[in-house]
Amino acid sequence: MNSLFRLLRTTTFRLTVVFVVIFVIFAVAVLGYAAYQASIQVQQQQIAAIERELNTLAAQYRLRGTAGLIQAIQRFAQGPGPGIYYVTDPNGFPIAGNVLDVPADVLQHPGQHTFAYERDRPFAEGESADMTRGVAFVRSFVLPSGVRLVVGRDIVERRSFGGIIVQAFFWGVAMIVVFGVVAGAMSARRVLSRIDSITGTSEAIMSGNLSERVPVTQRNDEFDRLATSLNAMLDRIEHLMAGLKAVTDNIAHDLKTPLTRLRNRLEGAMRDGDNPSSSAEALESAIEESERLIATFNALLLIARVEAGSTAGLFEPVDVADIVTDVAELYQPVAEDAGLALKVEAASHVMVRASRELVSQALVNLVENAIKYAPPSQSSEPVVEIRVIEQGADVVLEVADHGPGIAAADRQRVLERFVRLDEARAEAGSGLGLSLVAAVAHLHNGRVEIEDNNPGARLRLVLPVHPTS
Amino acid sequence: MKILLIEDDREAANYIIKALEEAGHVTHHASDGETGLAMASSMDYDVLVVDRMLPRRDGLSVIEALRTDNVATPVLILSALGEVDDRVTGLRAGGDDYLTKPYAFSELLARIEVLARRSSPAEAATSYQVGDLTLDRLSRKVDRAGEPIQLQPREFRLLEFLMKHAGQVVTRTMLLENVWDYHFDPQTNVIDVHMSRLRAKIDRGKTTPLLHTVRGAGYMIRE
Repeated sequence: MNSLFRLLRTTTFRLTVVFVVIFVIFAVAVLGYAAYQASIQVQQQQIAAIERELNTLAAQYRLRGTAGLIQAIQRFAQGPGPGIYYVTDPNGFPIAGNVLDVPADVLQHPGQHTFAYERDRPFAEGESADMTRGVAFVRSFVLPSGVRLVVGRDIVERRSFGGIIVQAFFWGVAMIVVFGVVAGAMSARRVLSRIDSITGTSEAIMSGNLSERVPVTQRNDEFDRLATSLNAMLDRIEHLMAGLKAVTDNIAHDLKTPLTRLRNRLEGAMRDGDNPSSSAEALESAIEESERLIATFNALLLIARVEAGSTAGLFEPVDVADIVTDVAELYQPVAEDAGLALKVEAASHVMVRASRELVSQALVNLVENAIKYAPPSQSSEPVVEIRVIEQGADVVLEVADHGPGIAAADRQRVLERFVRLDEARAEAGSGLGLSLVAAVAHLHNGRVEIEDNNPGARLRLVLPVHPTS
Repeated sequence: MKILLIEDDREAANYIIKALEEAGHVTHHASDGETGLAMASSMDYDVLVVDRMLPRRDGLSVIEALRTDNVATPVLILSALGEVDDRVTGLRAGGDDYLTKPYAFSELLARIEVLARRSSPAEAATSYQVGDLTLDRLSRKVDRAGEPIQLQPREFRLLEFLMKHAGQVVTRTMLLENVWDYHFDPQTNVIDVHMSRLRAKIDRGKTTPLLHTVRGAGYMIRE
């Protein structure tokens, strides 16, 4: 019962009902019009027939007088069919005819009349006795001699024609309704089962099983298209949720650890309250720790904002060559102090629609990484190269070093937040530098590529010249 | 120096007031936007320090109202919103400097002191002099005790900024913002490296160093 109710409440079923109602109204209108036209036609034929008989009778009367008329009437009256005939003398006394009585009103007023009557016998053999009653449509006529003539047709027959049409109406409508409702229920059930599978999936997902997917059939209909796009959306959501979970896990770990350190130092300072110099030292290191925390926090927030795309409004035409020159100039002394040469290869005027601030910061992160992780050694050339390469519709900012490089297996992973390769643990850093580079690339519709520099790492920030197209 | 602090966080305000008083500045405090606006319009202050989010009237609207009334007192905006677009909005509203929370007090103090002296003649001077060090902004020449010093263009701008604010603490962040136009903090001590190069060119072999490191705060050039 419940499932029937659900079926009746579906949109498909409701639409079917609406269409059935519309079809019924339409059918009634068409059939009604046809029936109306047909009955007018029949009536006109009857009037014409009556007219012909009247002419015949009038002709008989002119030729043979009252006796001829009566004879003709009797001949007509004997014949089969729905004809009605009645003749009275000038006093209204019946002389001939096939009906028992005609109202005085009809006799006295010549013209068209409709009245109930009773015949002397049935129209046709075998009809039951009660079929002698009927309704007549007649014309009454007064002959010059005063003889009154009534000629007409039984219209029960016409009415029964109407009855047939009404019956046809009824069956036709009944068939439309039955077939319509059955067809509607069937298609509603089909649609409902598809919808139910989607609903089932979404309920499973809401109850926590994010890996559930909407089944896709081979029909490639609109439901399959919907299911495919829903599944794509679910994939994206699942990916984002996984990312979010990883981030919260990382935040929990990477912010809690320094917070704990901070707390320990402050507690230590409190214990050493008697020794002013050591407590001052502990407080100083606590401030440093808190500054590192703030820096990590700022970096996280910036990555989140860049990933959310809320900084895209800052895009302007910028010369990447200028950005590279500025950053290189800023880091030249740092690199030299680290025993590295910083080389720049860039054509002038490489225009890109981008955020100067974010691209600069991404490049700073890449250069800092190169300087930090590529210490000069005997076996490699102590140089960090920054190149600007125009590559089709993209501009590539490439930072290459001759350090230990990044193993192929780690290349995707290092772009994630807080991921620090074991080799890097010894160096100071938050593990957010490359995540920001990746986020900036993503914001500009670009990407980060990590390649082998044989030896060393080659990181490429690929930016489309027109990030929006 | 007379400073008005408009900040609704009572604890932060108390700390800043105490520290500013210790640094020798008279500090008044308003804890909401309306009071702050009334105080700023009725009294002469050298610097206004305005929190961006305030009860009753937000910080940017306070600054806009003051600027409409032709109050030209330098304004330092404090805000938890630190992205470039937030900064641009703040400066567009009439702020003169923008500092993102959380900040070190030394940073706040350095910026307040620099702001307070913005209207001084040094702004428009064509040359700066600190001790026997001279910087000519027009010919872009630097010499110390008559000996010319060769500087890279960026080193020149660095020295120019320091000398413009001679006797004042200039933080690393201020240098990055004003000399390099970067509004982010690199992880490495890149400014320190540049400063040590500049120091080598200016102070090496001299008996009186001019370029001083202020511990926990930044740098200062003075006799």
